[in-house]
Amino acid sequence: MEDFNRTIGFKRRILVVDDEEINREILGNILNETYDVSYAEDGQKALEMMREKNADFSLVLLDLLMPVTDGFSVLDEMQKEDALKQIPVIVMTSEKSAEVKSIKHGAYDFITKPYDMPEVILARCERIIELNEDKSIIRAAEKDELTGLYTREFFFEYIHRYEHVTGEQKMDAVVLNIEHFHMINEMYGRETGDEVLCSTASTLKELFEKETFIASRPDADYFYLYMSHRENYEGVFDGLQEELSHLTQLPRIRFRIGVSQDVDKTLPAENRFDHAKLACDHIRGDYTRQLSYYNKEDNDRELYGERLINDMEDAIRNGDFVVFYQPKFNIQTKEPHLRSAEALIRWRHPELGMVSPGAFIPLFESNGLIQKLDRYVWSEAAAQIRKWKETYGITIPVSVNVSRIDIYDPELENRLAGLVEQNGLSAEDLMLEITESAYADNAKGLIEVVNHLRDRGFKIEMDDFGSGYSSLNMLTTIPIDVLKLDMKFVRNMHKDEKSLKLVELIIDIAKFFGVPLVAEGVEDEAQFKTLKEMGCDVIQGYYFSKPIPAEEFETFVKEEKKRRE
Amino acid sequence: MLTIEGLKTFGADTENGLTRCMNNEAFYLKLVEKSISDASYQKLNEAISANDLDAAFEAAHALKGVLGNLALTPILEPVSEITELLRARTQMDYSPYLEKINEKSEGLKKLCE
Repeated sequence: MEDFNRTIGFKRRILVVDDEEINREILGNILNETYDVSYAEDGQKALEMMREKNADFSLVLLDLLMPVTDGFSVLDEMQKEDALKQIPVIVMTSEKSAEVKSIKHGAYDFITKPYDMPEVILARCERIIELNEDKSIIRAAEKDELTGLYTREFFFEYIHRYEHVTGEQKMDAVVLNIEHFHMINEMYGRETGDEVLCSTASTLKELFEKETFIASRPDADYFYLYMSHRENYEGVFDGLQEELSHLTQLPRIRFRIGVSQDVDKTLPAENRFDHAKLACDHIRGDYTRQLSYYNKEDNDRELYGERLINDMEDAIRNGDFVVFYQPKFNIQTKEPHLRSAEALIRWRHPELGMVSPGAFIPLFESNGLIQKLDRYVWSEAAAQIRKWKETYGITIPVSVNVSRIDIYDPELENRLAGLVEQNGLSAEDLMLEITESAYADNAKGLIEVVNHLRDRGFKIEMDDFGSGYSSLNMLTTIPIDVLKLDMKFVRNMHKDEKSLKLVELIIDIAKFFGVPLVAEGVEDEAQFKTLKEMGCDVIQGYYFSKPIPAEEFETFVKEEKKRRE
Repeated sequence: MLTIEGLKTFGADTENGLTRCMNNEAFYLKLVEKSISDASYQKLNEAISANDLDAAFEAAHALKGVLGNLALTPILEPVSEITELLRARTQMDYSPYLEKINEKSEGLKKLCE
């Protein structure tokens, strides 16, 4: 700043106010070199000159004792006018007592009479001008012009500085956003929009004026507040909502509030507000909630999800996805024997280790990425069936998952038929599992697709039967080849009577429709025996084997081959 | 003609006065000459005759400022004294002070001729 002031190419204007011409001349003589000096012989004249357009004085040197309007009155008048208030004043006085009084009236500094050495006067003038300019530059940059709240950079800077002062005090980061703010601008014009922003700012200041609190409008209709911790924010911003409703009369316009409580001060201030903003944006458009708290677990889960989504394509390319196989056993024969397998995807992430399917499958289902993964599994499974067939001379059918979104793929049939053909299999070797809930979703479209697939020889298994909302009636209209009992029935059948009864019932239903029933999640001998007694046809679960890599699975294939011989 | 030497003999603290004038002798001498006809002298005399102590204080104070800046010590001294008395609005006979002030300012005026 110093360099800037010295090198800037124009002279700043100074107004010298003194009723004695000789004094004015002495000062003028001192200041002329460096400044463009104007003179006024009394207070009234001085004020008039300051009010002139483009007056632009950088400093006023003011005598105190003058006839008509004295120096104190000039100071008082200047305090009343915004433009004049910005001009720094150095008071010239010979009385010590007047120094304190003049500072109280708004003077920046004083020069004693008789005048100090010219160098001292020049140095004082320069220093005061510089201080004032720095201050006004900072003032202009630190505040948002519209609302008077801090701008983003200064807000974070002040939080940072404030930290050293408050130390241990618990603080909360709060982010407010006006939902549908663009509607205010559109329906009422920008002026009203601005008015809403301004009154938001002033209402916030009023609401929290008694607490430790600093506020910013970092962006458009977002407001950031850094404030003393409170346990509960319920109702805290009601005054603001009232003000907003009053101003706009728009029922859909309201505030959304995200809070990160007792922020981690080891994090940069920006991150603390990222958290509050996440919470705030999380409830965008949710009219049942106006307030949302940042939760680290939620955030971590979200970040983890983002990571998985980002890494998914690379993982397919790099072969990080591995297909495991879980055997299904026929149990109604004398000895249980291998009937088929289910292909299950596993993700060996190079950095995260084994990623649970529970973490990525629902995620990929929700954004459609599952389609890519399904196709990958289909082709791996088809190749595997072929490999076993070539190696051991027997065919072990493998069921693969067909997700809801795959049903809408017009190429689904051709894709699957192509795979079967490429690997020299028959369609029934690649069994297709469709979850019950997919049936409920789009029964008509699905029936059509399923019919086409069955026409081409594919076998359809209804997965997770009993977990969804399908009515029994649906079973009469939907063509299926196998029912798979949802694993939670098996898990609970020895814990509560109802589950046991339901298993029995579903077994009967399967019999009624003439399709085999597969029970999933069978873990122990008791479950196995009960299911066998009840007439369940096929069992899948840890009782026989967990899902295992293809190489390990070969043991089962070999056994089956031996049995058949 | 007024000279720095003359002012020194008169008793002025010319070094200080000159410093304030950025060591510009001609400028300093010009201001000293100008000070002789400063309206405050007359105002002070008139106000005291009229017993208007407020006006007298204002004039004395203004004069004190100028004389101080020009470092015209012989006149500054009685002016400073009378200023303080007038500041307190002391009711008294001010003529001895006025006489001294007028005598010294006359002396200065002579130096200028």
